[in-house]
Amino acid sequence: MSLGTIGAFLVVLLLVFVVGNLWFHLVEGVLKWLKGLFRGRKEPPAWHPLPPEQEDDNS
Amino acid sequence: MGIFSKLFKGPEVDVEKSNANARKMRLLFDQVVENGGDYRIIFGYTEDVARFNYGFVHGSKTRIGNLIVGWNEAPQTIVVVPTVPDLSGCGDPTYYRRSEILKAYRNKYPTDAFIIYPDKKSYIGINAYDWLEDESLYVYVSQEGELSAFTEFFMNQFAKK
Repeated sequence: MSLGTIGAFLVVLLLVFVVGNLWFHLVEGVLKWLKGLFRGRKEPPAWHPLPPEQEDDNS
Repeated sequence: MGIFSKLFKGPEVDVEKSNANARKMRLLFDQVVENGGDYRIIFGYTEDVARFNYGFVHGSKTRIGNLIVGWNEAPQTIVVVPTVPDLSGCGDPTYYRRSEILKAYRNKYPTDAFIIYPDKKSYIGINAYDWLEDESLYVYVSQEGELSAFTEFFMNQFAKK
C-alpha cells in the first residue's frame, strides 16, 4: 500500500469523525431546543454558595 | 528499591487537599440541613447513562452528579445534598427517612451502588468510593473510615425490602 493510499484513508477517517461530531451536536442542539419549547420555562433549582470559612484565632 | 517502590506505589492522596474539601463539605451540609451537625457525611455521586441513536452516530452519554450524603443513625435518615466537584455551592437537601421509603438495598451489578426507592416511581443510586482522583468530575476527598461506617449503617440499619 502506497503512502498516498494510507493518507487518503486517514483523511476519510478524519472526515467521518468531523461529520459525525457535527451531526451529533446538531441533533443535540435541535433536541434541546425542542425540549425547551415544550417544557416551557422552569425555575432554576435553588443554589446555596459556599459560606466563607471562619479564620482560626490561633495567630 | 526506594525509587521502584515509589514508582509502583500508584497515586497518593493529597491529605491537605482532602481535609480542606472535607471541611467545605461540612460547611455546605450544615448550611442547608437542619441540625446538620448530627449527621456524619461522605461524598457520593450519581451516574445517569443515556443511550442515543442519531442515525449513523450512536453511543451513550454519562452525566455525573456529585452529592454530599449525610446519615443519622438515631432517626435512621439519609440526607442527600447535590453539589459540584469544586464545592463552590450546593442545592437543596432531599431526606430519605427509613420509615417513609419503599425500599433500600445495595446493588451488586453493574456497580455496588446504594439504591433507595422513596416510592414506586423514582429511585436514587448513590455510588461512593474511598477516594476518586479525577478532580474535574468528583470531589477530591479521602474517606475510607467514613465510607465503611456508612456502609455498615446502610446494610445493618437502613436497608429495607
